[in-house]
Formats: sequence, C-alpha cells, structure tokens
Amino acid sequence: MTARINLLEKAPLLKTVLKSQGLQPALTILMLAGFVLAMLTGWFGTPVGSRNFGIVFVWIVWWGLLIIVLVPFLGRAWCMVCPIPALGEWLQRGSIIQRTSGRLRTRHRRWPRRFKNMWLQNIGFLILASFSTIILTRPNVSAWVLFGLMAAAVGLSLFFDNRVFCRYVCPVGGFIGLYAMMAPVELRVRDCRTCAQHRTKDCVTGNERGYGCPWMVFPGKLRRNTYCGLCMECLKTCPKDNITINLRPFGSDLFVMEEHRLDEAFKAFIMLSCALLYSAVLLGPWGWLKQWANIDTLAHWGVYVAALWGVNLLLVPGVFGVCVAVSRRISRLEVPLRQLFTDYAYACVPLGLAAWIAFSLSFVFVNGSYALPVISDPFGWGWNLFGTATQEWTPVLPGLVSFLQVGVLTIGLLFAVNTVYRITTHHITDRRRTFQAAMPLVLPLAGIALLFLWLYLG
Amino acid sequence: MRREWSARIAVVLILAGLPLAVLGYQYGLLPLLSSERIVTVAASIPETGGFSPASIQVRAGEAVTLRFTSVDVTHGIAIGPGLGVDLGQVDPGKTREISLTFEQGGIYTFYCTVWCSPNHWRMRGILEVTDVDGTIPPFPPDPVIELLVAEGINIDAASTPVLLQSSASLLSLTNGATVAAELNLPADLHNAVWRRTHTPQQVMLLLTMLYPAVSQRDLADAVAYLWRPSEEPSERTAQLYEQNCAACHGQFGQGDGFAAALTTVQPSVFTDLVYMFTRRGDVLYAKIRRGGMGTDMPNFGTLFTPEETWALVDFLWSLSLQ
Repeated sequence: MTARINLLEKAPLLKTVLKSQGLQPALTILMLAGFVLAMLTGWFGTPVGSRNFGIVFVWIVWWGLLIIVLVPFLGRAWCMVCPIPALGEWLQRGSIIQRTSGRLRTRHRRWPRRFKNMWLQNIGFLILASFSTIILTRPNVSAWVLFGLMAAAVGLSLFFDNRVFCRYVCPVGGFIGLYAMMAPVELRVRDCRTCAQHRTKDCVTGNERGYGCPWMVFPGKLRRNTYCGLCMECLKTCPKDNITINLRPFGSDLFVMEEHRLDEAFKAFIMLSCALLYSAVLLGPWGWLKQWANIDTLAHWGVYVAALWGVNLLLVPGVFGVCVAVSRRISRLEVPLRQLFTDYAYACVPLGLAAWIAFSLSFVFVNGSYALPVISDPFGWGWNLFGTATQEWTPVLPGLVSFLQVGVLTIGLLFAVNTVYRITTHHITDRRRTFQAAMPLVLPLAGIALLFLWLYLG
Repeated sequence: MRREWSARIAVVLILAGLPLAVLGYQYGLLPLLSSERIVTVAASIPETGGFSPASIQVRAGEAVTLRFTSVDVTHGIAIGPGLGVDLGQVDPGKTREISLTFEQGGIYTFYCTVWCSPNHWRMRGILEVTDVDGTIPPFPPDPVIELLVAEGINIDAASTPVLLQSSASLLSLTNGATVAAELNLPADLHNAVWRRTHTPQQVMLLLTMLYPAVSQRDLADAVAYLWRPSEEPSERTAQLYEQNCAACHGQFGQGDGFAAALTTVQPSVFTDLVYMFTRRGDVLYAKIRRGGMGTDMPNFGTLFTPEETWALVDFLWSLSLQ
C-alpha cells in the first residue's frame, strides 16, 4: 500500500469540524436553498437558458465545480452536501441535526439483490443523456428533472432504509462514485483489525453520537471511494477513533483488483462515450447533429438516441473487448476474458474524467460570466439584486482553454496508460509479455484521446 | 434542540417561504405597487411557438410596458399599424421594452422584423385594446379592397402584357418627361388617384390610339415618367420594405431574396417592367394588405397603415423605374 498522510492527525481542527453534528446539515440546507431556487427559476423564470439561474448555476457553475474541482480532488464530497436525498433522509430520521433514537422511519423494505449494483445508475444516466440537449438548455425541463430526482429520492426513502437512492439509483452519484476513485482523498480505517475485532460495529448500527452508515458500507472493509458518501457518520460513531481521512496518490482505487466489477466497467465506458458524444454534439461543427439531439423531429431524435445507446453499450465496449481479446491472445494470458475486460475497463476512468474536465473547461471559461447577471436577476424578470444584472457576457481567458484541454487530456492519457500497465503487471510478470499485452489497449486509448483533441482543437 | 428547530425552520422557509416570497412579490405585490402593468413576451421562432403570450389584452388608458425577450435567435420587434413602434433587434437573452398607453380601443399586431426562420412571417402576436366600454372596435374594412371586390377585380389573377414585351431596353424618364410635355395628355393621367386604378399598359393603349404617330418607345417613356413616384421614398418606407419584403423580393426588387427559394411561387420581380406595366397600384396595395392567394405572400394589412401601404406601392414603382 502506498504511503498515506492522515489529514485528521495533521489537522486536528479538521477532525473537530468534520465530527460536528451541524456541519453536514448546515451545508445541505444551503445547497437546498440553491436547489429550490433552481427549480423555481426553471418553472417561473425566463425560458432563456443563459439568463436563468437554474440553467447557469446548475449546468455551468455547479457542474464546473463538480467535475473540475470536487470530484477529481475530493471525490464524493458533493454527496456529503447534496440536497437531493436530504429531505428523504431527514424524514427517515425524524430530525435534521439531532440524533434520534430507534429505527429509521421507513417501511424497511429490502432493496432487490439484482439491483445492488450500478446498472440502474447506468441506465438512468443514459436516459438523461438521451434528453441532455434539452435538459441543459430548457429551464423548465431542467427544473422537472431536478424535481424528479428529489421526488425519487424521497419516495425511495419512504420504503427503504438509508440512502438507497444515492447508492443504487442516482445517475449523478454513479459517475461521481466511479471518478471518486481518482481523488487524492479517502476515508479509511486506521487499522482493519480493530474493526474486525470490534463487536458492536457502531459505524454500521449507529450509536448516540451518530447514525449507522447511510451508504450501507462497512468502513472496516472500505478499500475504494466508490460507495463512501463522505457523510462522516462513521467518524462520529467510531468509539475506537479508528476512522481517518487520508491524502494519497491520485487514482489509487483503480488498482484494487478484487473489487473490479462489470457494472462499474460499463459505467466507465458510458462516461467516456458520453463525453465523446457530448463533445461532438455540443462543440462539434455538425449543426444537424445538434438539431437531432435537440429533437427537431422525433425520427431524427430516435436515430440519435439509438446511436447514443449503441455507441455506449455496444460499439465502445465491443471495440474495447476486441482489443482485450487481442491482448489476451498475443500475450497468451490464461485469465478469463470477462475478468480481463472488466479489469482493463478501469483504464477508461482517468481518460474519461480528463475528457469530462476538458469538455467542461470549454464552456465554464467561456460561459461562466453568465453567473454574474443571473445572480442579480435569477428569474430574468428585470431584477438587479446585487447590481450585476447588466454585466455582459465576457469569456474568461478563452485562449487558454485549448492549452488546458491538451494538458488535461495528456495527463488523463498518461494515467490511463499507467493503469493499463499496472493492471497488466498484476497478471503478467514478464516484461516483454507485459508490453505485448498492453499495446492493443494503449493504442485505442491514445486514439480516443486524439479524437477528443481533434474535436476540441479542430 | 434549539439547533434542530432552527434547522427545521430554515428548511420550511426554503421549501415554502422562498417560493411564496418570490412568487408573491413578483405576481402579487409588484403589480399592486406598480402603477403600470408589465407584460413579458418571450420570442422564439414560429416552429417552437413564436411569441408567448401571442395575445395580450389591455384597456384603453391603462399604462402597459411590453418587455420582449428572445429565447433562441435574434428577432426584431415592431408593433403596428400606426404606432410607429420599432424596438429593433432583440438578441437571445436580451430584452427590449416599450411603455404604451392607448387612448382608445383597437387591434394591433406585434411582429418580428428579422428573418429568423423559414416560417418567420408567421411570427406575429395580437395586442387587443379594449375601449372604456369594454368593447374592442373591429378592424375597419379597407375601402380600396372593397372597391376592387365590387369592380370584380381578381387581385391574384395574372395579367398578359400586350404592348411592352421586354424590359431589356431600359426606359428613359428624361425622355418620358420631354414626350409628356410635348403631348397634350388627358388630365386624368396627371391624377395620381386615377393612375392607381389603371395599369401603365392601359395608358399605353390609350396613348397609342391618341398619338399613333409617336413611337412606342417614346410612349412607354412617357408612361414611365407619369408612374414615377413624385418624391424619394422615405427612410421609414425603405425600412418597411427591407424588414418585410426584401427577404423574398430581394433588396432591389429583383425577386432574388434569400428566402425566395423557399416560396411555393416565385416572388414577383419589381424590376421587371413587363410585369409592372400590367399592375394597377390599387391591386398592388390590396395584395400587400391582404396577401397573395396560393403564394407564400402573407398579409400586411394588420401591420401597416393604408398610408404606409401606399408608400410601399410607390416604393415598388421606384424600384422598377429607377
């Protein structure tokens, strides 16, 4: 295991803050206010996306912060303050801050075993992606999507204990979990043996200081960030003071080989493919493609959606599968193809995250200035709350964007290549065979990175 | 416990208080406190709905501010007839507004003045001003069109050129002026109102009978001279033509506007003298106001005043006789 720096030891104040009962609710309530405002502006505000708080703050400001800052550097930190499941969680607990005793107020249904994976999140993301162009540009559609997510989260919390919505359903939570593996911050236990020997498992059952893990994770066996929502309940409940927050190398979770799964592998393909398709639709020179995605006719949109699902679920995984098969054959590996396919899919995680960052940089820098007028006039009703309503659209350092995109994609590709190499060395020790096995996978990854660069740089 | 209740109150305020406060202020308090009514009209291309709302009702004497915003592409906003309101272009996300107080009832049209989509001409909305007695005066019938109907004139019928067969040879207004001065022309020909109800071709026939010794070319020049607009078209008229006609008929009336390819029937070519010599002024007027049957020519009678329409007819003559 690579060296870790225990942040709670280095900064005791951080520990006090994170253990505070009021921190998470306070931040969540703040986010809830923004969330409600985003829905209200979507329903009642101007239909002009660039003048509507809901569009600008959700799809430019929030998205930019999420994918460029929060996920790559803090993993699931957003999940800690996300307002979508908050109402349901508060209803379950019967309180917002105070620790209430007794069982959660739900119907205590069991979540179906076959859905205890990322497949629902994969499907959910693809459904949203099918409508993405209108969701991203039409405030009222955007508002209904936000409302739908919150309604689903509250609805599920009435029947199932804990954050079933976040863990198994939320289309946003799915990719945050996947890319949280790249983050240099992790919540882990100091010593696994302490947890194994601990009989009451307060982090799972909860105690007077906090609730049992709402994400249904046993911290004692936590080896990846994917399903830890950083809610800090285990930090509060652990009587052994065994929970730590570590600083670690980027992408450490990618090499936890025993926990590689096919649903996560497909999540990696879907995210990479969607980044490619979004870049082509929204940034590419093909006006007709944008019109098709924008549902100019039902027939065009149908073709677009069929292509989107086909590329995500068949073409990209299929091509990748062929590359894995070639790699397996020329390196004479005995490992089952399915396992290799799943393992190598994790190489798409750093490249996919880099692609999303590069894609997002293009519009965050260019369109971020829309936030200024919108904060003063969130509904587009002619208000001027902070005197910035008349601020003109001003792209910020547009000349820098291309350089940043090249840099980010290069780093992503290098990470991906390194991931392929390390996964290969897990199966093969011979250096020549390692090279033989890696090349059929490195080449398509490099090809995809070049494709992104071509789309961004023209 | 105190923190818990503070949090609960905060959540209730966000979920219920925030919507109530914002919507209550905008839709309840603001209209109550404001002496004028504000109507926001979102403009989008007709394919996605056009103006929203497309119909606005106000009362005579009521101060109303119409705030136009564009949802998709650049639109242009004007209101007619007779108000002289042209707000210019409205870019996506930007707003243009005008405050109006109508002294009496009437029906007006707000419309787009920028070619925004293939169905641009459908982009119109109605502004109904109710009189103090609650009624809306009906749109008055057009006496010119009524006379044409009474006369049995089919304004959509194609005319056959008789004398002037080619406009390749350009007419000379200077020569026309000389010929017209030398000939003792019937008084009617100098009457603009009379000329509106006759075609240049009819006058050519008349003059051919009256002056058989004069060449056809000289007579055509004289007729062209008679039909020339007496004064330069105003900027307003040129602007009306550019905003509403040029997309199909072309900037210089050559029928080659960028939208000409989209129309079911080739737009009229005003520089074609053979065609224009068969047109009556009142028929051109009626066609502008009523639109063209079986073509994509929309009606402009709800947008322009009769005076503006006559000015446009003169503008068309100026295009053909310039």
